[in-house]
Amino acid sequence: MGRMKFLCDAERCIECNGCVTACKNEHEVPWGVNRRRVVTMNDGVPGERSISVACMHCSDAPCMAVCPTNCFYKTEEGVVLHDKDQCIGCGYCFYACPFGAPQFPNGPAAFGARGKMDKCTFCAGGPEETGSQAEYEKYGSNRLAQGKLPLCAEMCSTKALLAGDANVVADIFRERVLRRGGGTDAWGWQTAYGGGEQKREQKREREGQK
Amino acid sequence: MLTKKSSAATGSARRLRGSAARALGQTMDRRAFLKRSGLGVGAGAIATQLPYNLIGAAEAAAPGVSRGEGKADVRRTVCTHCSVGCATDAIVRNGVWVHQEPVFDSPINLGAHCAKGASLREHGHGEHRLKYPMKLVDGKYQKISWEQALNEVGDRLLKIREESGPDAVYWIGSSKHSNEQAYLLRKFVSFWGTNNCDHQARICHSTTVAGVANTWGYGAMTNSYNDMQFSKAALYIGSNAAEAHPVSMLHMLHAKENGCKMIVVDPRFTRTAAKADQYVRIRSGTDIPFIWGMLYHIFKNGWEDQKYIDDRVFGLEKVKEEIMTWTPERVQEVTGIPEEQVFKVAQTLAMNRPSTVVWCMGQTQHTVGNANVRAMCILQLVLGNVGVSGGGTNIFRGHDNVQGATDVGPNPDSLPGYYGLAAGSWKHWCRVWGVDYEWVKSRYASEALMTKSGITVSRWIDGVTENKELIDQPSNLRAVVYWGHAPNSQTRGAEMVEAMKQLDTLVVIDPYPSATASMAAMVRKDGVYLLPACTQFETTGSATASNRSIQWREKVIEPLFESKPDHTIMYAFAKKFGWGDELVKNIKLEKDAQGWDEPNIEDILREINRGTWTIGYSGQSPERLKLHMQNMHTFDVKTLKAAGGPCDGEYFGLPWPCYGNPEMKHPGTPNLYDTSKHVMDGGGNFRANFGVEKDGVSLLAAEGSASKGADLQMGYPEFDHTLLKKLGWWDELTDAEKAEAEGKNWKTDLSGGIIRVAMKNHGCHPFGNARARALVWNFPDPVPLHREPIYSPRPDLVAKYPTHDDKAKFWRLPTLYKSLQEKVKDISRDYPLIMTSGRLVEYEGGGEETRSNPWLAELQQEMFAEVNPKDANDAGFRNGDYIWVESPTKAKLKVRAQVTQRVAPGTVFLPFHFSGWWQGQDMLKYYPEGAAPIVRGEAVNTATTYGYDPVTMMQETKTTLCRVSKA
Amino acid sequence: MSMPTMKLLRTAALGGVLALGLSACGETSQVPVYKDGKYSGKADTRPWESAEFKGDKAAWEAALKNRARGQNEYNRGD
Ligand code: SF4
Ligand code: SF4
Ligand code: SF4
Repeated sequence: MGRMKFLCDAERCIECNGCVTACKNEHEVPWGVNRRRVVTMNDGVPGERSISVACMHCSDAPCMAVCPTNCFYKTEEGVVLHDKDQCIGCGYCFYACPFGAPQFPNGPAAFGARGKMDKCTFCAGGPEETGSQAEYEKYGSNRLAQGKLPLCAEMCSTKALLAGDANVVADIFRERVLRRGGGTDAWGWQTAYGGGEQKREQKREREGQK
Repeated sequence: MLTKKSSAATGSARRLRGSAARALGQTMDRRAFLKRSGLGVGAGAIATQLPYNLIGAAEAAAPGVSRGEGKADVRRTVCTHCSVGCATDAIVRNGVWVHQEPVFDSPINLGAHCAKGASLREHGHGEHRLKYPMKLVDGKYQKISWEQALNEVGDRLLKIREESGPDAVYWIGSSKHSNEQAYLLRKFVSFWGTNNCDHQARICHSTTVAGVANTWGYGAMTNSYNDMQFSKAALYIGSNAAEAHPVSMLHMLHAKENGCKMIVVDPRFTRTAAKADQYVRIRSGTDIPFIWGMLYHIFKNGWEDQKYIDDRVFGLEKVKEEIMTWTPERVQEVTGIPEEQVFKVAQTLAMNRPSTVVWCMGQTQHTVGNANVRAMCILQLVLGNVGVSGGGTNIFRGHDNVQGATDVGPNPDSLPGYYGLAAGSWKHWCRVWGVDYEWVKSRYASEALMTKSGITVSRWIDGVTENKELIDQPSNLRAVVYWGHAPNSQTRGAEMVEAMKQLDTLVVIDPYPSATASMAAMVRKDGVYLLPACTQFETTGSATASNRSIQWREKVIEPLFESKPDHTIMYAFAKKFGWGDELVKNIKLEKDAQGWDEPNIEDILREINRGTWTIGYSGQSPERLKLHMQNMHTFDVKTLKAAGGPCDGEYFGLPWPCYGNPEMKHPGTPNLYDTSKHVMDGGGNFRANFGVEKDGVSLLAAEGSASKGADLQMGYPEFDHTLLKKLGWWDELTDAEKAEAEGKNWKTDLSGGIIRVAMKNHGCHPFGNARARALVWNFPDPVPLHREPIYSPRPDLVAKYPTHDDKAKFWRLPTLYKSLQEKVKDISRDYPLIMTSGRLVEYEGGGEETRSNPWLAELQQEMFAEVNPKDANDAGFRNGDYIWVESPTKAKLKVRAQVTQRVAPGTVFLPFHFSGWWQGQDMLKYYPEGAAPIVRGEAVNTATTYGYDPVTMMQETKTTLCRVSKA
Repeated sequence: MSMPTMKLLRTAALGGVLALGLSACGETSQVPVYKDGKYSGKADTRPWESAEFKGDKAAWEAALKNRARGQNEYNRGD
């Protein structure tokens, strides 16, 4: 299994917030913290489009680079996780992230009073024993370890939001784009995964298939 | 504080918007609302007040059990928030609902959910629910025991019955009841002795049900959400499916990907419109001129399906005369839509057949509602789109079981199954119930009142306040029982509190009774009782989705707090009233954990099966339904048909009509009136329900237009014992069937023999084979006519297109039309803006339940009004300001202004899910303690005006007037 | 074998690898590297090492593939 990615199909997203709520439900995320949000452009006028955004689990994750306590890490599946015990709530990651993913339970309060950063885990828990109460309380469910994909994507009302192995996700999207003959924009992929990495990955896949 | 989509408006969100705009290569103007919710406000402040981990609360129910331990059970249930009917799997551990998993197997939703469906597990927390019975004492709600509640409420109602007769009590049932509960409530109300009962269908699709049924037989969605995948074009008019029926969009967007053209006609650029290929902005309340405008082009260009019309439609010529007077200029004058747009829509529908139409409350909630929907039917008949896969009239119902409650529930004008209220109908049901007809009759004040339609929920307030002399029943209403219905969904809220004040007794039975409770406590000191009912996750039963598929819900968790399932409460009251045994003659009782008697749900469904032949609720036994729920993966997503497996050949959820008894194995009907299929494979044709001829013209279908394989290939009337004998088919009945069927017709033959012989042996439709009626001669406007709304923004058009004449006794009440319209003809000078209302995706109906759910409440934190920038500038306010929206009733709503192009200049849109503010005041202090929803706001219906459909008493909510000013 | 024991064993076996990894990192990046189910001295086992899959990576991958099918309705017909 390769690299995990998200893809939100703006041609399908209807801004229903199903994904946002699924995330709240699955992880009991408290009021005011949003691991996932839906953003709308051209609201209320022709051309209105929405996309659902969370941590994209970037290839070269800017949050990792700026964290002064080195609390981030990347799993073999490409999921960016962090250790809440090490987090000092400085908020650097929040400013570095192009997607606004890091969230703080106390909101953007004074430095140091924000509390431990929380963000999307790709439903993969965190550095505590898999499936333990401690993992759940700090990081939420670990669906990946149950052989399931992120609930936000699995429950998306129109299957606009896709999550999983990069190639599988890309295939699903490609079929749709072919059928509708347009609407090709995989929003945020360039920023999150970069052109280079995608090519590298494709190459790896090709080689893997040989 | 925060407004919408709260914490998105942090610095990062702004950056996010920036990068999103770059990515999409467009300038971006995210709903400015978010900007306003501002840095530094909100999220944190609220977060600290709530426990980080709400699971702790749920676990309190099973102390000492940690999350990971104990066996996990999977219970399959169905979302209770809309009629799409999305299945979900609840994971329950030690009695606690710990997870919610998608059901990818469901052919209806394939695992998908909107925000409401994705939040279902919160029902297991239920912290804002009513936890025990309460009573209003000296203006405050106090806890009482169930025993005291049942006794006091029972005694008060019995006293009123004694003094003023059974019709002095009004029972408002629920579209959120299961089929079994809704059905039991209709029976319950009958034994109480009145037809004064109703439910949400009155104010959501009553005009559809009446208008469509009178056109071709059944008043329901003809096809299904799934079948729309076969459509080549789809016209949404008065439907915002992306918010109201989100998962239906999965099917539509799929169809669109495969070439379907999607058209949205609406006064508002909705989120559905954002997905459309064509968007047409229409003036609210002018649907008929627009539809006639399309048909004008269709006829002009010869796009009509002449053979279909000749064979299967009655009375179109008359309608065509009216249509051809709607020249493009005239259409534009009334609707505001230019000819080329009307033409393009007509052309798209005509050139891309099969094409379908979708409508919702944008069409139904008008003083011309019944005519609107008939015009839509006519459009589809002319195009030959009815009874065709990919075509049809896809009427999206509202609540999760509003279709079922309409079919078998508490309707004021009918017994279950649209049998009506005639003596014969009563005798039929008394046989099914196993009670004596004379006994039931004796429960009523008179035989006349037994066969007379009751007051509608849209008008109960007039039943209380109207002059006694003018009411068509012996007494005014003195008590109202709100049994699963919001008060803020009915119009004229300002007058409602007056009615509440005048009542002797008000009873609310609901998991979330708080909107009614707070309104009543605002104007009363006593005489109000609140009884905690369960949600559908704490009991079991069936629900009918919009496409007529019936799904079975397993019980997920035990009733929370002191709540009881509705059917248990019904039986408790029946016992108190002295006819408990009669109510459950054929129904087993079981003891629940607290020793209450609970009527067995499956037995109730079997009783429904035994009596509801008219619409084929007879074949869906509990066993068959459960089998479908466990074998969802075997059903095809587009056709809903199972290929192989234990349900081979059946359609998912046995969509009604599923004729005959369960043993006949009718597969259900995926698309109504489809002659390309055999009747035993879900085929059919239009219903013979209006006689065989009218004014010398045959109403029966033409030769050769019967359903596939029928022995009778011509039109034929409905089946009864004489027709069977005439055809020489009588001897195909067994002796037992003969004994039962003698003197009966297909609807009253309890053996099901007539149906079996007609369908199984001869491929004929038991309800006959007739033409659809373009001309509904028994309605006020046999040909649908445009009539201006009572509160019209166009006084110049009122003279040309006036409304109906006043009615003296209409559903037991005097009803105003022309006299009122005349009186307010020029009121648009003072109230120049159209006020209209609609849905938000996060909330349902009156909204109390969903606004009590923190996961949803966080997403929509404030009531607002959408106002066009021009109107905002004229009135001198800006986006995010508090404004007053004032209607001609003088009621004023204090809401946030959302200044947006979504609405045209001259239109103000308000969502209808809010309550808990009253003309600027937060009503928190009037709520029972701990049972106030998280989010409260002004109810739009506090300010809505008078106006009702002349057939069904549907309320006008979509077109009235208002003015706006800065608060 | 119970999960905690397995975890202990793995931790012991991988100790050496981790030490190597960290020293190498010191030169190039400030970010500690996640290696083989451990992060910064804490266990974060890989998803297929969960109670459900007991280290059977192939089974885990198959499960995920199957879930991914659920995101594509074209799998249920055109
Ligand atoms: S992947 Fe999981 S944690 Fe991330 S947004 Fe989706 S549901 Fe939330
Ligand atoms: S659930 Fe899907 S359609 Fe709805 S907002 Fe999220 S991504 Fe968009
Ligand atoms: S509200 Fe309707 S569309 Fe949303 S999940 Fe529930 S049933 Fe499905």
